[in-house]
Amino acid sequence: MRISRFEAGVNYTLLGVFAIFALTPLVGVLLTALTPVAEARSGFGLPSTLALGNFGEAWQRGHFGDYMLNSVAVTLGVVALTIVLSVLAGYAFATMRFPGRTVLFYVMLLGLMLPVEAFVIPLYYDLRGVGLTNTYWALLLPQTAQSLAFGVFWMRNYFLSFPTSVLEAGRVDGATDRALLWRVLVPSAGPAMMTMGLLVGMWTWNEFLLPLIMISGEGLRTAPLGLAFFQGQHATEQSLLAAAATIVALPIVVVYLFLQRRFIAGMLGGAVKG
Amino acid sequence: MTVNGELALPRRGVLALALGSTALVAAACAPGGSGGSAPAPTNSEPVSTDAASLGEVTLTVWDQNTDTGINDAQTELNAQFMAAYPNITINRVSRSFADLKTTLKLALSGDDAPDVVQANQGYPDMGAFVEAGLLLPVDDWAEAYGWTERYPEDLLSLNTFSADGKTWREGNLYGVSQTGEIVGLYYDKQQLSQAGLSAPVTFQDFEAALPVLQAAGLQPMQYGDADKSPGIHLFGATLSAIAGEEKAGDLVSGKGGAWTDPAPLEAATKLSQWAAQRYLPEGHNGVSKAQAVTNFSQGQGAFLFQGTWQQAILQQAMGDRVGFVALSGVDDKPETLGGVGLAWAITSKTANANAAAAYIEFITNAAASQVLVDTGNLPVVLPEGYTAPEGTLAGDIVGQWREVSTGGGLVPYLDYATPTFYDTLTAGVQQLTGGQFTPEQFTESLQEDYADFLETR
Amino acid sequence: MSPAPTPSRAAERTGARPVPAAVPSRPRRQWKAFLYLAPALVVLTAFILVPLAQGAWYSLYDWNGLTAGSWVGAQNYVDIVTDRDLRAAFGHALVLILFFAVLPVTVALFLTAVMSRAPRLRGLGFFRVVLFLPQVIASVVVATSWLAIYAPDGLLNQLLRAVGLDLVTRAWLGDFSTALPAVGFVGTWVGTGLCLVLFLSGVGQIDPELFEAARLDGAGLLREFFSITLPQLRGQITVALTLTVVAALKSFDLVYVTTRGGPGDSTTVPSYLAYERAFQTNQVGSACAIGLSLAVVIVLVTVLISKLQPRES
Repeated sequence: MRISRFEAGVNYTLLGVFAIFALTPLVGVLLTALTPVAEARSGFGLPSTLALGNFGEAWQRGHFGDYMLNSVAVTLGVVALTIVLSVLAGYAFATMRFPGRTVLFYVMLLGLMLPVEAFVIPLYYDLRGVGLTNTYWALLLPQTAQSLAFGVFWMRNYFLSFPTSVLEAGRVDGATDRALLWRVLVPSAGPAMMTMGLLVGMWTWNEFLLPLIMISGEGLRTAPLGLAFFQGQHATEQSLLAAAATIVALPIVVVYLFLQRRFIAGMLGGAVKG
Repeated sequence: MTVNGELALPRRGVLALALGSTALVAAACAPGGSGGSAPAPTNSEPVSTDAASLGEVTLTVWDQNTDTGINDAQTELNAQFMAAYPNITINRVSRSFADLKTTLKLALSGDDAPDVVQANQGYPDMGAFVEAGLLLPVDDWAEAYGWTERYPEDLLSLNTFSADGKTWREGNLYGVSQTGEIVGLYYDKQQLSQAGLSAPVTFQDFEAALPVLQAAGLQPMQYGDADKSPGIHLFGATLSAIAGEEKAGDLVSGKGGAWTDPAPLEAATKLSQWAAQRYLPEGHNGVSKAQAVTNFSQGQGAFLFQGTWQQAILQQAMGDRVGFVALSGVDDKPETLGGVGLAWAITSKTANANAAAAYIEFITNAAASQVLVDTGNLPVVLPEGYTAPEGTLAGDIVGQWREVSTGGGLVPYLDYATPTFYDTLTAGVQQLTGGQFTPEQFTESLQEDYADFLETR
Repeated sequence: MSPAPTPSRAAERTGARPVPAAVPSRPRRQWKAFLYLAPALVVLTAFILVPLAQGAWYSLYDWNGLTAGSWVGAQNYVDIVTDRDLRAAFGHALVLILFFAVLPVTVALFLTAVMSRAPRLRGLGFFRVVLFLPQVIASVVVATSWLAIYAPDGLLNQLLRAVGLDLVTRAWLGDFSTALPAVGFVGTWVGTGLCLVLFLSGVGQIDPELFEAARLDGAGLLREFFSITLPQLRGQITVALTLTVVAALKSFDLVYVTTRGGPGDSTTVPSYLAYERAFQTNQVGSACAIGLSLAVVIVLVTVLISKLQPRES
């Protein structure tokens, strides 16, 4: 069935309007970031000259040289750990029968729903009690715990969707559970793990409150915290703040543009063929 | 929470979860029971002012000096300090005012607490820290370094607390400050002369000018309260002029009076009238303070209540067009909201109290004052013989600061009054000027918060 | 505001049955499953469940986070029901759900009805990327950009003036009547693209013959929508609602950056108050009670939404 030109026109118009709607605020940030500090105002307008220097100054004032590296390290760590733990747990939930399976699965899902504010204070005191605040672990482990809900859910669903016949054939051949997981399931799960890793990475990169609380020194702070340097007690520097915001958002946006199918598939939680 | 159509938590599961957490909880004890409310800490080491002989020391210092001018000063002072004392290394951790407030309480109670921190005055922060035994009294060093002579007594008292943290502005000294600041009235000379007015000196002058400016087709005041803190400045400066330093000061420090007294009510009534008369710009609750300053510098508004910290920005944008005054109030002398910058304090967990004190001395002494002045900041005690050119904004500000800080005209920030007062007051001012609160409702909401806190002390 | 992902129908779609059926020949209990689960469970327990339980314990105290707390029993919870400010915050959260969830889902459904055949348009991939973009931007950055749009001389007022609606212009975030809707509308912005992408992909999976048949029967757009599109999209709608509602209830960053709860208390939300009390006003016990209550609300709402999910067909 072909789409009439009229219908296609209507569709493109609607899609176009909403695309503009989605892009406008982001274009606004970019414009502000390119506006010389002295000209900065809140309205939309083209800057008289492109103040590319804003990015350099924001980079330096916001300590992004260090903070970005920290963010990369933390994000990679959380993603790697989440993938390993989720594959193991997802495999158990998908293929094994054991007491408490349903309850445990729901407990796992809690991580999706709990607001950080509900547990961050006791978490801080616990970690400090064992000397972990202000260490890489204080960033890695709690954020992994938060990501597990999605990770386990995602891997379980992937393993469930795996053709039962293949697993059965493996078992008939005498393969152990361990061998099935590592030789059959995991090698085929690359795309699923990647999708999950991208989303977990994105959430970790954007996390603000946990790193703020857990890291008291300078050494391990992450990129979103750098934004605060442009909102001091008395002054806010619009152009630099916008430039800093762009710096923080850019890595994720670039990854997204290259791997958008995986992002979207993941966010839709399997409702789209990923 | 649905997976394959399995719906809701099974009841048994909920029960197990509940039982599990109860068991965990029963093993715990009252939070803060072990760590907190220790006996008031005292300095155990003998006081030494010879920092060079302290051996290799690393001091972790938390500051909130992230705004451009003061950041320059701090960087310079730290470098100078390390050059003067090569045995001491400064590990600077600077974070914004908001982030510092969020994290300082947690950091101070840990074992790896910083050595030197900037603590905000009043009951919400310094009082709570002192009560929990987290700060070291610095009276011994104050004597050794002569801090008690350096600062006017009522400025020093802003950084004092009783040892139990229950009474402010008396007892031990818990730190000293680098900078001074007052909230005053910036005025646009050009617009005033356009309306045939001269620069105001008293609160009455200011009030009388408002309708004249409006009649001349000008916006009388500029004001933006989206960030919430400017509400404290506007109401505080007004209250200081109407109630006078003594009454307003007692109210803030919990020494007497009520927010429902005639003076606070009158001040609230003024604010609500200014809003109703449109002396305050429309939509002010949605304008950021930075935007309001910009608007004022561009001629939208003849008056702006703001702090001395806006000096550099306004000087640069307006040059000779702008002046600054702390209005004379009921006592016929300049009385206004203000104080000293956050106190540089020594934590009770530090192992290097002497080095910490030496650092604080170094960044607040006369030489440091000169660095602060050179980087466009206002030190608490101006360098000897320092004068800024008469008739300039800097000259106005330096003169007014001298007069207010030494003449007993300083009213501390109102949000020091109770731990929750910042929220109550800032939300209340927005409601007052937004027409959601009558002046009576506003003062009653303040008094409710205030009375609750006084009861617990 | 990155919305949490959600349980979905993946397994159902691919035809897998619930677990026991997946391995029909092995009915016995496999204790070694716990070996596989252990690492994840340990991390989850140590870094979320235990702190959560401790938070529940703190919530029974009046505690400033520094000195010893005093036992107040359920008082912090009673306050949530009786205290005007706290009740208001939960009320605001409901309004935000309207903007974050109900509005985007409704708008996206309407558009999907109009564009039920759009999945076969060329260039849809491009639109999908753009519409989805707001989802990947850190919420702090999103909030910063909208702050500029709502400013008195910001884009929104510029546009209104350009079309002669000067009377409508205002400081959107500073006006008691518009601040909450304005904050909520940011959520609409974030959520609409997500819902639209989700529904369009769902429509793409509907057998085209269903539409053909309906048209041959002379069904109009309206009937086509109610008899085919809507029922077929129930799964996607569930996912969309879960994502957006959870985002609405976790809207701390947005409120923190745009209004700090103001003007007055008109945009306070539970997650913001929990933060405020825990870190700014020394009311840690109360903060924990708010956080926990919010968590319970989120779980309940999620369960309720899941009732929409089509059962095993």
